[in-house]
Amino acid sequence: MTGDLASLSHAPTRPGSASAEAPAIEAIDLVRIYHTHVGVIRRRPLDVEAVRGVTFDVRPGELFGLLGPNGAGKTTTIKMLITLLLPTSGSARVMGFDVVRETTEVRRRIGYVFGGDRGLYDRVSGLDNLRYFAELYGVDPRQRDRRIAALLELVGLTGREKEKVEGYSRGMRQRLHIARGLLHDPEVIFMDEPSIGLDPIGARELRQTVRSLVDAGKTVLLTTHYMFEADALCDRIAVINDGHIVASGTGSDLKSAVLNRTIVEIETFGVAPEAIDRLRRDPEVIAVNTEERDQSQILLIQSERGPEITQRLLGSLGDTRVGKVVAREPTLEDAYVHLIASTSSTDGADRAAALG
Amino acid sequence: MTLASLCDEPMTTTAAHLSLPPVTADPGSLRAAWRIFWRGGLMSYGMLFNWARPSIYFPTLIGGPTFQLLFFAALGSYAAGRSPAYFALGNAVQVSALAGIFGMTMAIANERWFSTLPAILATPANRIALFAGRFLPFIANGLFVSLYAIAFGVIFLGVRFEASTLGVAGLALLVTVFSCTAIGALQGAISLRLRDGLFGANLLMLTFLLFCGVNIPVASLPAWMQVISNLLPFTHGLAQVGGLISLEAVIGVAYAVAAFALFSYLERSARANATLDVR
Repeated sequence: MTGDLASLSHAPTRPGSASAEAPAIEAIDLVRIYHTHVGVIRRRPLDVEAVRGVTFDVRPGELFGLLGPNGAGKTTTIKMLITLLLPTSGSARVMGFDVVRETTEVRRRIGYVFGGDRGLYDRVSGLDNLRYFAELYGVDPRQRDRRIAALLELVGLTGREKEKVEGYSRGMRQRLHIARGLLHDPEVIFMDEPSIGLDPIGARELRQTVRSLVDAGKTVLLTTHYMFEADALCDRIAVINDGHIVASGTGSDLKSAVLNRTIVEIETFGVAPEAIDRLRRDPEVIAVNTEERDQSQILLIQSERGPEITQRLLGSLGDTRVGKVVAREPTLEDAYVHLIASTSSTDGADRAAALG
Repeated sequence: MTLASLCDEPMTTTAAHLSLPPVTADPGSLRAAWRIFWRGGLMSYGMLFNWARPSIYFPTLIGGPTFQLLFFAALGSYAAGRSPAYFALGNAVQVSALAGIFGMTMAIANERWFSTLPAILATPANRIALFAGRFLPFIANGLFVSLYAIAFGVIFLGVRFEASTLGVAGLALLVTVFSCTAIGALQGAISLRLRDGLFGANLLMLTFLLFCGVNIPVASLPAWMQVISNLLPFTHGLAQVGGLISLEAVIGVAYAVAAFALFSYLERSARANATLDVR
């Protein structure tokens, strides 16, 4: 991505634009329950609470991250804010407009960047995709082609715009999504896991583009489940899990929750569940998380003791074959893992309440 | 080098400073609505039917209608002893249903199957213009198919027109193709919600063959079938009488309004119930 967004934007002057005091995005106790069914022969109604009372606000010009694992409620929250879904209860406003009643006003002021490679017309060119959506957003036809050319330059698709989208890589599709979301120069941009599936270089370029959007005065709400991405980009972060906001603040604020801890990473090969249980029962262990690798399992053990606890932890593992062992300072990712682990329901049963 | 460290790296690409005037976007203006109707309608056809290459288009919209004409002309003249031209003319108008019903069904329902529906619903585009614009390519397609079929009937099956009736016949054809496309739009809106919309389109095609007086005079049908006939497109347009053409137009508009009302309802319902893949 090679362009500069500052030259693409202009100051919001339309009526209803957020003032310096008013939040650009405001969500108050948002709840969304999905009504569905289970069973084939005897279908029973099932209510799934995807979002359970989410409250936050985003200031104009701020880059706000909504961080959480898959299924935490990030996409549902964003879809309520962009008017695609109605909240079951609660309220939300974007640039001062109610997302339930003033949908047209909200839609003309926002851009939505989908995550993944869906949502594009695959069998036509990227240029045709942009031209079509420029019509839907009412972009002045005299400015349309120059705008599209500039956006193609920005996202690094110049020269590839006449190729069919079905031949685009995932990264190119993602960049086309971004160009589409910026066609009408929206004041607020919602990005739903925009870096998902991108290679490291593509993801880095995307982050640079997101940063330049904020530098150009845009308000950005970004959802991601990559801790480092939220840390690198966002002015403030809200961590969402099981439909709740479990923590919010700057990256430093979140890190402070685990600052006094030591993280011991132990690489194991075929660790038994009983050994992990023994670690969890240790009174000086706060949390144990496991990451499955190809042949090994990485145990991430949080403790308020210093590195000297390592030997005791290794002893708890018994005969388990152990590889690399590292004791280190906590990172934001550790804070995130701690927040998610400490707020997750054990079996997810409370996420769904059967009515029938 | 870790992913985290990549975040902190300075940009290595050369920033190209672009200069262009501020873009203005006014999706609520009449001009924008007109462009969504006219340009957007035509562009959406290219978006959704890019797969319809000549190798698919011509066998479907030319080959099928040709054999329908020949089949019913032969069957009708054999079974009813009437001129093949009588059956050829009615069927030449009826074949426009292929474009109107199947095309329009896909023009609406395929937005869901192509996963582009949420992106469209998230825009502030004027919904009436967006919906109505989809009619244009299929009215044109329907007219093209019917005019081809009429020409085939004139050349090979003895169809003849008096010069004085050409105007009325042309108007009847246009109105009939519109009403057929309108019922296709209703089927398309239904198909947004139900996954098997093309089965409904097949059913409509067969219904027309039976009910609309193309091959069997409406007057010879049982009374209950005549009620259905009078509510369907084609029945009145085929009569080529001024008053009945107006009635055909009214039926077409009624189907178009019903289709848009259903589309609007489904859009609202999708927000409330997380249907249409907006979830």
